[in-house]
Amino acid sequence: MRLFDTDTFREILDSITRNRSRSLLTGFGVFWGVFMLMLLTGGSQGLKGLLNKNFEGFAQNTCIIATSQTSKPYKGFSKGRYWEMEYADVDRLRSLVPELETISPTVALWGRSFTRDEYTHSGTIRGSRPDYANIETPKMMYGRYLNDADIAQERKVCVIGKKVYASLFPEGGDPCGKRIVVDGSYYSVIGVDWREGGGINVNGSPADLVTIPISQARKAYNLGNTIHLLCFTAKPGFTMSDLTPRVRQIVSRAHYVDPTDEQAMFLLNTQLMFGIIDNLFKGINFLVWLIGLGTLLAGVIGVSNIMMVSVRERTTEIGIRRAIGATPNQILGQIMSESIVLTLAAGLMGIVFSVLILSGVELGMTEDGMLKAPFQVPFWTAIAAAAMLTVLGVVAGLMPASRAMAIKPVDAMRDE
Amino acid sequence: MALIELKDINKTYNNGQPLHVLKGIDLQIDKGEFVSIMGASGSGKSTLLNILGILDNYDTGTYTLNGTLIKDLSEKQAADYRNRMIGFIFQSFNLISFKTAVENVELPLYYQGVSRKKRHDMAMEYLDKLGLTQWASHFPNEMSGGQKQRVAIARALITHPQIILADEPTGALDSKTSVEVMDLLTRLNKEEGMTIIVVTHESGVANQADKIIHIKDGVIGKIEENEKHDAWGGSLIK
Repeated sequence: MRLFDTDTFREILDSITRNRSRSLLTGFGVFWGVFMLMLLTGGSQGLKGLLNKNFEGFAQNTCIIATSQTSKPYKGFSKGRYWEMEYADVDRLRSLVPELETISPTVALWGRSFTRDEYTHSGTIRGSRPDYANIETPKMMYGRYLNDADIAQERKVCVIGKKVYASLFPEGGDPCGKRIVVDGSYYSVIGVDWREGGGINVNGSPADLVTIPISQARKAYNLGNTIHLLCFTAKPGFTMSDLTPRVRQIVSRAHYVDPTDEQAMFLLNTQLMFGIIDNLFKGINFLVWLIGLGTLLAGVIGVSNIMMVSVRERTTEIGIRRAIGATPNQILGQIMSESIVLTLAAGLMGIVFSVLILSGVELGMTEDGMLKAPFQVPFWTAIAAAAMLTVLGVVAGLMPASRAMAIKPVDAMRDE
Repeated sequence: MALIELKDINKTYNNGQPLHVLKGIDLQIDKGEFVSIMGASGSGKSTLLNILGILDNYDTGTYTLNGTLIKDLSEKQAADYRNRMIGFIFQSFNLISFKTAVENVELPLYYQGVSRKKRHDMAMEYLDKLGLTQWASHFPNEMSGGQKQRVAIARALITHPQIILADEPTGALDSKTSVEVMDLLTRLNKEEGMTIIVVTHESGVANQADKIIHIKDGVIGKIEENEKHDAWGGSLIK
């Protein structure tokens, strides 16, 4: 039997359109299943994208230590003591925890003002080293990030955030080489970091930040050996969660702080947060597939059921067809193709509809002409869904088709 | 040589209580004959027709149609023989209700794999022959019983079958259209030499045939030659 000629197709279309409302209602089950599956898949993917955007630029295996008042007495010190980390901690960790890759200290000065001519902006000054780029990857719009020479020569240079740039250079253009006043003294701009900032901000939003060499910051603000944050990443193959207890021990001991004092030493482990998000979306995806496939399955069972009824109703018709020369295979082919066409047509409608809705969502999620997160289902997912629908159509058609095949031509005459 | 040759055909239905319906039927029908099979209900005449039409199989004996032994056929072969050798006319017309007259007539050719254009032309030709051209695009429920039966006859004829099997062809028609349909069958027999077998329990209808086979309790009672069509005084109306 030729499966794809116009005649066969017309036969199928005739049968499906004969009972239009029933076909529509039956198809709706499949349509809804596919629609839900696609929409939820796209939605969860988009949400994940949005959430991950908050951590944009952050290395996944990063940890940041901040200090605070102690909450437990330790080695003769009473609780409530203020303490700060020092440069030596970098070397301690370097020698005692070889699994760490980058160890970068930073200092921060909050609420400072930046001016250029009549323009001003206020934000945070961060003193850091070039290797801080391994912790938070800057998105350089103009110029470059700090380099080793900046540190060694204690240069008065700065990398400015997006909003700082917008306030101080409203005329736009490349600001590199121009001088701005950072908290009272002149610095040359060497680059613009274009990050928006979001979920995890270190020293405030990166858009309001002015980054200067840490050596210059120490000198300018008399910070001595003090550091404010200690950021580090683990070497590939090591998980941060395995290393943090040791890091905590080493740093606390050196400063006579109780290693069990969670308040005195705050550890932000991004790996944990990424893990939480990952697990969250694993759960969501599981639910999405459970709901989507469940609905789809219910739809397919509906198709099978209706085809069953339809075959029963058409006993006479099938008998007539058999009497005038249709082979059982032709009847099988007809019922199967009806089932496939019904399932596939409804399913494709579902795919198209969900793609349209997701496109609309993407349209609403665009900022400055840039998509915040991809909501659209990938092309190949849609193709796979279509293939799956064909298979489901076959499955749905199996039972009704075998029943139709069993109809003998004499039944046509008996059913009078 | 006989077109249809039945030798000692036996058929038993095994639905709970075994029912011996045909008890050794011997029958010969030649090409170009117009035969009617008569019998009361339950006599086995419909079963005989089903066997002749390869719609049902028989238990013992032999059935030869145009030199081909019809026995233990696969469903596919049976379908093919039905399609090419036999044209059916049913009491309830058995047209497919959601297809137009011309589409109904085309259907046997569709299963032969004849191209759309060609089978449409052929179907129109046959409808024209039966005076139904203007009804070609009408659905069965828009036609009268006589028109429907003529569409069914066109459908039976379109594959140039060896025999036409008619099962109570006038059973659902009034007496006037019954006469028309029987006249049509007679004309087909006389003018085109078509072999026609009509199963009926109406004597008037049977009288149109050249030969009347009486069947009773699963055996052939008598075979009446009826060349003069005067078996019951010659009238179709009872």
